[in-house]
Amino acid sequence: MKMKKFINQPENIVAELLEGFALSHPQQIRLVGNNLVARAAPKAKGKVGVVTLGGSGHEPGLSGFVGEGMLDVSVPGEIFAAPGAPRCLEAIRLADYGAGVLFIVLNHAGDVLSANLTMEMAKREGLNVKMTLTHEDISGGTNPEDRRGLVGFLPVYKVAGAAAEEGQPLDACFEIAERMGRNMRTLAVAVQTATHPSTGHAIFELGDDEMEIGMGQHGEAGTGRMKLKSADETAEIMLEMLLKDLEVKAGEELLVVINGAGATTLMELFILFRRVDQILKARGIKLARAKVGEFITTQEQAGFQLMIARMDQVLLRLWDAPSNAPYFVVR
Amino acid sequence: MSCDVTKNDFARMIAGAAAAIRAQHTMLSELDCASGDGDHGATMLRAVEKLEKAFAPGGSDDLKTCLREAGWSVLGVDGGASSSLLGVFFGGMADAAATDLAAMFEAGLAALRKQTKAQPGDKTMVDALVPAILAMRAADDGGKSLRETLHDAAAAAHTGAEATRHLTARYGRAKFLGEKTRGHLDPGAASVSLMFAGFYQGLSHSKGESGNA
Repeated sequence: MKMKKFINQPENIVAELLEGFALSHPQQIRLVGNNLVARAAPKAKGKVGVVTLGGSGHEPGLSGFVGEGMLDVSVPGEIFAAPGAPRCLEAIRLADYGAGVLFIVLNHAGDVLSANLTMEMAKREGLNVKMTLTHEDISGGTNPEDRRGLVGFLPVYKVAGAAAEEGQPLDACFEIAERMGRNMRTLAVAVQTATHPSTGHAIFELGDDEMEIGMGQHGEAGTGRMKLKSADETAEIMLEMLLKDLEVKAGEELLVVINGAGATTLMELFILFRRVDQILKARGIKLARAKVGEFITTQEQAGFQLMIARMDQVLLRLWDAPSNAPYFVVR
Repeated sequence: MSCDVTKNDFARMIAGAAAAIRAQHTMLSELDCASGDGDHGATMLRAVEKLEKAFAPGGSDDLKTCLREAGWSVLGVDGGASSSLLGVFFGGMADAAATDLAAMFEAGLAALRKQTKAQPGDKTMVDALVPAILAMRAADDGGKSLRETLHDAAAAAHTGAEATRHLTARYGRAKFLGEKTRGHLDPGAASVSLMFAGFYQGLSHSKGESGNA
């Protein structure tokens, strides 16, 4: 089937999408240097800077979360591909306001490789940088290195960004990010493939009547391919796996995020959320906060990610703190 | 004796590698559709363009300066793990203690292997790179000429890449496909094999006169 997307020259996709993103949010963000997404007004001196990196084609992830209260600089790569170390280093220099930089990296091979190279170069330059890796996708198995970073970046950006905005030192921001990371678990499910906008190829194959639990952001295969199930059945299977992995007990407080993959409607996400809430109530688990929408997409892939995170009073306060990031406004 | 390599030799090798990738980038992207997201050919094309630029006339005459520049600019391709690893590989060559071909490639490989845990047999570019550089060392130690050394390296890279068809991916994005990757040539290994074939071709064409005898 021919790809139907509103694009111009495939090689200009990233540059043009960034241009449009910046032009549509002039109060919050601007493009600086080599297509880095930075805040329109830099943070005050003496505060920790927060930087992330990741491939494009996942809008509003990840640059949609640059803004006061969240990220300082995001380094967008090519479509589904990590940016290289030189631009990451440029971003870290830019976000260094004298109190060091927290570098938040999602666990994907290319991102981690660039991040490790960047850390080596930054250390050689004497920059004060700490890197935190998000890896909360339980379909990767029990080894944390095999667990990918999915929508869990959202609470990590939020709480670490809020801590930095409060003026907390780098070590404290790092600890907050790590704690949020340890407290969260995600599972993804896909029901329909996406086309790579540069090549026009489907990024994976899935039968008309199938779904796959555990699929990654780019169609990396999961383990649970099965016949398509209803919203309630799908929510039950996924939530049970997450609650078990995080060992959630009655009385605990959870943040729940449901992230649409691109083609799954808000209608469906709300139907799913309703079932998640019913199950939590039945088990005596408290829903502390919820967020339903599109935070990281993969073109017209259909499916969603379900994330749960154990919250405490500090994490809740930071989650509720103000943000003017274009795709995460909290007043 | 060992074969020393000059900036001019290297520029011809790079030109050959770029020609080989340019001729086959569509095939590389098709290979990548089986296990990745189908953009490997485009990434490789951008990477070899950067390499060519670093060795273009008018640049530095110092080989190591050119390699450092090449490595840095390939890192800047923003094409995920493939371009980062290639950038590390070429940049790492500049850190070689000696100026002979095998020593430089060994230094590049050592730098690359510091950044990835992929081992031979994991169905990655390492499966073509390791045998190619071993062959290079053997040829170099055996007193073969630069051209013969590159010939042996290209043959070993080809054999190594072809062998990835029988492997199951255990690293990179394709690892999530596991057994499903069997039967497919690894795109990273295929790229390395093409580049080594290009190094040999590039050096064999002596400035466009006598052809590749």
